[in-house]
Amino acid sequence: MKRLGIISLFVLLFIAFITIWNYSYQTGLKDAYIPLENEISSPKIPSEAGVFQRSEYAFDYVNMPVDEKHQRTLETYYDNRAYHGAPPSIPHPVKQEMSMGGNTCLQCHQNGGFVQKFNAYAPVTPHPEMINCRQCHVTQNTETFFTETSFVKVHAPTAGIHNALPGSPPMIPHSIQMRENCLSCHAGPAAPKEIRVTHPERINCRQCHVPNAIEYSEKSVFSRNNN
Amino acid sequence: MPIKSYLAHPHNGKKNELVQALSRIDQCEVMPAQNKDLLILITETESNTEEEILKEKLEALKSLKLLAMVSGFNTPQKN
Amino acid sequence: MYTSLTNRRKFIKKMAMLSAMTAAATMFPGILFADEQEKGLPDGDINWTKAPCRFCGVGCGVLVGTENGKAVAVKGDPKSTVNKGLLCVKGYHQIMCLQAKDRLTHALVKKNGTYVQTPIQEALDLVASKMKETIEKHGKDAVAMYTSGQSTIPEGYVASKFMKGAIGTNNLDCNARLCMASAVTGFLTSFGADEPMGCYEDIDHADVFVLWGNNMAEMHPVLFSRMLEQKNRRGAKIIDFATRTTRTSMAADKSILFKPQSDLAVANAICYEIIKNGWVNTSFVEKHCSFNKGLTNMGYGLEDNYKFKDKPEKIDFKAYKKFLEDYTPEKVEKISGVSVKDIKYMAAYFGDPNKKVVSYWCMGINQHTRGTWMNNLVYNIHLLTGKISQPGNGPFSLTGQPSACGTAREVGTFTHKLPKGVVTNEKHRRLAAKIWKVPYERIPSKPTYHATEMFRAVDRGEIKFIWTQVTNPLVSLPKTSRYRPGMEKDSCFVVVSDVFPTPTSDVADVILPASWHIEKSGLYGNSERRTQHWDKMVEGPGETTPDAWMTIEVAKRMGFGDLFPYSEENHVEEIYNEYRQFHEGDKHGMAPLEVLKSQPGAIWPYVNGKSTQWRFNAKYDPACSNNEDFHFYGKPDGRAVIWQRPYEPAPEEPDNEYPFWLNTGRVIEHWHTGSMTRRIPVLHKAMPNAYVELHPKDAERLQIKNGDKVKLITRRGEIIMPASVNQRGIPTPLQVFVPFFDENMLINDLTLDSFCPISKEPDYKKCAVRVEKV
Repeated sequence: MKRLGIISLFVLLFIAFITIWNYSYQTGLKDAYIPLENEISSPKIPSEAGVFQRSEYAFDYVNMPVDEKHQRTLETYYDNRAYHGAPPSIPHPVKQEMSMGGNTCLQCHQNGGFVQKFNAYAPVTPHPEMINCRQCHVTQNTETFFTETSFVKVHAPTAGIHNALPGSPPMIPHSIQMRENCLSCHAGPAAPKEIRVTHPERINCRQCHVPNAIEYSEKSVFSRNNN
Repeated sequence: MPIKSYLAHPHNGKKNELVQALSRIDQCEVMPAQNKDLLILITETESNTEEEILKEKLEALKSLKLLAMVSGFNTPQKN
Repeated sequence: MYTSLTNRRKFIKKMAMLSAMTAAATMFPGILFADEQEKGLPDGDINWTKAPCRFCGVGCGVLVGTENGKAVAVKGDPKSTVNKGLLCVKGYHQIMCLQAKDRLTHALVKKNGTYVQTPIQEALDLVASKMKETIEKHGKDAVAMYTSGQSTIPEGYVASKFMKGAIGTNNLDCNARLCMASAVTGFLTSFGADEPMGCYEDIDHADVFVLWGNNMAEMHPVLFSRMLEQKNRRGAKIIDFATRTTRTSMAADKSILFKPQSDLAVANAICYEIIKNGWVNTSFVEKHCSFNKGLTNMGYGLEDNYKFKDKPEKIDFKAYKKFLEDYTPEKVEKISGVSVKDIKYMAAYFGDPNKKVVSYWCMGINQHTRGTWMNNLVYNIHLLTGKISQPGNGPFSLTGQPSACGTAREVGTFTHKLPKGVVTNEKHRRLAAKIWKVPYERIPSKPTYHATEMFRAVDRGEIKFIWTQVTNPLVSLPKTSRYRPGMEKDSCFVVVSDVFPTPTSDVADVILPASWHIEKSGLYGNSERRTQHWDKMVEGPGETTPDAWMTIEVAKRMGFGDLFPYSEENHVEEIYNEYRQFHEGDKHGMAPLEVLKSQPGAIWPYVNGKSTQWRFNAKYDPACSNNEDFHFYGKPDGRAVIWQRPYEPAPEEPDNEYPFWLNTGRVIEHWHTGSMTRRIPVLHKAMPNAYVELHPKDAERLQIKNGDKVKLITRRGEIIMPASVNQRGIPTPLQVFVPFFDENMLINDLTLDSFCPISKEPDYKKCAVRVEKV
């Protein structure tokens, strides 16, 4: 009797499995039948999408206390670059020479955070989708030159002088290529203190801050033909 | 000529209403906090009687929950 | 002695404020005060005065800083409930255009082909005598005035009084015809009362924002930022329904793309889904709605002297339901390219009784050959679900110009309008005549030319004198390739009042130098029915004069002095007080001037000292009188109308010869025709010239790279401009987009002057174009 009960239970389960499987197979077919070729898909605009990327952390940035002991300055920020706009070099020993950035560098540089070992906050990358980090970012293994060079760093923009009127929002003094995501460098504890934004909760940055560094269009002063 | 400053707490969700109401009063200067339900109120009146009238006006505001005075000054009358 | 005393008091006040701020900071760590931003400012004696922003229809409150008689800075007004202290890049830099070197400072009169600087009194004499002479020779309807949604309320009011009350012609229209006429006819046909029922506070309550063809991140950035804040704080959803992928799409939760013109079908499909799934708010519809249908196949107004009058006909719910059967999501997917899934997705949000939904739209729906219909269709969705006139629930039509509502719509600077009502209504004519103190017979009962037809009449030689104020039609009209030669003809005497030289002033016979925004006092009315006042802050250069005063001076010279008894110093106040009489009552009462001076604006109907934030809702609107929760008192039966409006194709669709759609619009940096914003260095540097946006796939096929020169050709003309691929926006495949601010690349030479037959608003978003690599 007991055995019969168990067998019937299994039979019941089996039948249930068959029906459910059938049903899900049928609905699966139905979904697949919906013709999708008419639909226009939404493309991504890299230069526009980036601005909003870290906006989900905006309110966290607002509430973060300032850790004055471990702030970066604009000077050290530029020191780490060969010239204004160059990819920064890696100022610390890397964890694993043979690995893609996705599973090493991004552990600290995707979201930042305090690193005891270096006694500093890890800067957040503005382009976490590019994971071959060391294509552009290299370590500094020596302080000496191969031969002397007369290369001079181009003048990097300083903070606090880019507003057109007293109190008006400053313009963006640098190209935003690869740096579309404003919050990654301008908010959080790793942001250089001179350029840390006072209002990270305002997400639509380029509502008020427009680029001032359009390199490609060299325009003469606009003049009218008439008059 | 009393000059006083207060912390004004609005009732829940009535911050804008309170800002509007206070800025309509001549002797008041308001500075709302951007991220908290609180505003700073500075009052400036010509005489003590005017001060009394203003006080009554402030107490009549429905959107005001609590008014806490922080500092008060009295400049000497000089004409 | 006095100064030292006030200084001392100022110092004490500052001390008092600082101690309060310190106290606040100990109680609430991290507290922020708007005024704290001033801390780093060079101290000096900057004097801050409130005003509404000069640019768009959002109507942000700004504080303009002046020092030694010059405007030196701008900041957001923290007391304004519109923008709460935030502005956009145009707002922050607006005063910088004042220092442009080519400012029009004196009147210029064309003599033998060159402009001669002329004393303004002489120039006004000439304008008045020309106008008088034209009327004597050719009749009243040979003179016309074309004003603006940027005119202040007093400017619009005196223009209307001058043309309709004094001269007695309806030849007055304005550029607002080009931007929100469809919104007006939409409101009038659905509700019988113009302007939105809700207000910006809806943003703080809504769960879902549906943006209909509206790139708010660039065009209404301050409101968009308020939406983003709600998205982050409360998880509100933003749905971007458009024909172009933009900055808005990037920030939205969902971006849905459709083929141009097919929004009509999608809106009907949403209504179909709402009814099919039983999401109709039956008690609301039964109590407060009726059903109508109108004429179809109306045409597109492409021919001169085109006339159309709709014939509304009552239908019942059953007939409406039957009509919607042509708009099942499956059928509409084929027309629109929007998947069945996405149509159902949108319908589900509207249908969910627990979700509050606000619809926003602007030029995408209004500049549409079926613009009135499209407005009706959005209202249908909100009426069927009863999501209207409540905090966080409602359709909200945005405007582009700072006083499109306040001046163009409320004062009524259209050919068919009066400050209250329309010229075709005898009662309205009698009221206007009474307040203006003119014989009632003088106001003609028949409307004459709407904007497009007005410039066609100039071209035909019927209008022999035209005066434009605060607008730049030869950049902003559609098909300027016809209207520029039209205005250049000797048959018409052209007077242009402006602040800067423009392509329109280039064809003028007389150029009058106008005062800019803060060089005069005035009032603007924004999209949420908020009227805002500002005082003159700085002196204008040379002989610049406020537009209202120039109109009054010409009227006086023509012998109408007794109708314009205003004083030069105080005319703004006097005119506003006269104008207020038109709107007395609790349906449209305007706030008294003292109130407007003391605070950043008030929303009409202003009744018993209170703004009415939600109209037609008995809880908020004292004009509701039917003892129900809602009362649509604009209509005689108190019911809002759900309209049966079908999908009809656009007048000029792409074909083999012209395979692309041409869409035009704006960018965040520039405002309209750019005559002001291009003179602001910050904005010009950020966006120096126009461009044509292509879909990357189209660009690849045509071997066009970003920055390459591209030739656009339509049946009206051609133009060469740089290509933009993967930059600010991406249009749908087989569509191109061009911003219209650039007077060196006049895209409107190419656009089509078709318009909505009901509203007469042109469609700048759709015509056929060929794209060639140069």
